Amino acid sequence: MNETAGTETGVGTDLSSPQRPRREALNESRVWLVYARRKYEEPLYEIGNVMADDVELARVYARSIYDEFAWVEMVLVPRESIVTVIGS
Amino acid sequence: MSTTARKRTDHAALFAILSALADNKQAVGRRYAFWCNGAPALEAAVAAAAMTQDELGHARTLYPLLDDFTQAEADPSQVEPETRTLHYHLAFLDNDFQGWSDFVATNFLLDTALSTFFEAAQNSSYEPLRQRARKIVQEERLHEVHGDGWVRRLARAGGAVRRALTQSLERLWDETLCWFGPNDDSVMQQLYQEGIIDAPPDELRSRYLGRIMPTLNGLGIDVPVTFDAATKRRQPAQALPWSRWDAVARRLGG
Repeated sequence: MNETAGTETGVGTDLSSPQRPRREALNESRVWLVYARRKYEEPLYEIGNVMADDVELARVYARSIYDEFAWVEMVLVPRESIVTVIGS
Repeated sequence: MSTTARKRTDHAALFAILSALADNKQAVGRRYAFWCNGAPALEAAVAAAAMTQDELGHARTLYPLLDDFTQAEADPSQVEPETRTLHYHLAFLDNDFQGWSDFVATNFLLDTALSTFFEAAQNSSYEPLRQRARKIVQEERLHEVHGDGWVRRLARAGGAVRRALTQSLERLWDETLCWFGPNDDSVMQQLYQEGIIDAPPDELRSRYLGRIMPTLNGLGIDVPVTFDAATKRRQPAQALPWSRWDAVARRLGG
């Protein structure tokens, strides 16, 4: 968007049809595995997961939900990035 | 029995702005609370609950400051949120949110505006505000990411979802920009001149717009804002409704 002068106007980016139900449009589909550790000498453990299509929202959700300890590190791993070597 | 009189500070401008900050934080917290079990997803509901606790906590740290001022002596009941009958929060917060998009708009617009003020008070000459401002700014970082993320989420969903978001943003837009006051606002100007905050109203408004405009521009959401490339300052493109501005309650009326 041109911000040099004048009114800031932009082109709408409507990505769905008007008929699309609201709730369906907000369904989250991406799963993030949450790993954390309480001490530097410990490895990261999987402590849970969150669902969010937006990575920044995934960060907020992980911080809000898994706040039971003062973690020294917390990371998110998208579940879709896991490669199975030996299936169960 | 000792009858030493309590020494209070006589500062009407500071008392006024602390009252407005506390009332807005309290009202935002109470509105957020309604959505702890109504958010579109469980994760968002937990985040809403955490943000509710933060906002009410911020109000809880601000109200006790009011009792340190001479201005509190006229009606001591006004320094406690439970007994306070004055409500110096935005008129938008008078009513329940109409939907999740109102939550997101409040988070993205109003909460960020209040944070812009607290950022300007991080080196305040008034120590109690300086201490609180630093802690609030730190806690608000996660709120800002949440607001930003949900504005993107709703805008990109398109259709009725995007329309609901833009309508919520429109309803809150003018009043949020007005909250900093006109540039000759006597309260804000006095705080600026005494080093309690580090910028006058127009500069605060420009800083605020600098925080929210990248997201709105990136999503193609139209808002009336001008950018002066020479001064790198943003300002509202249309006159704000100052005729409806209540300078005491810091909100729009009628």
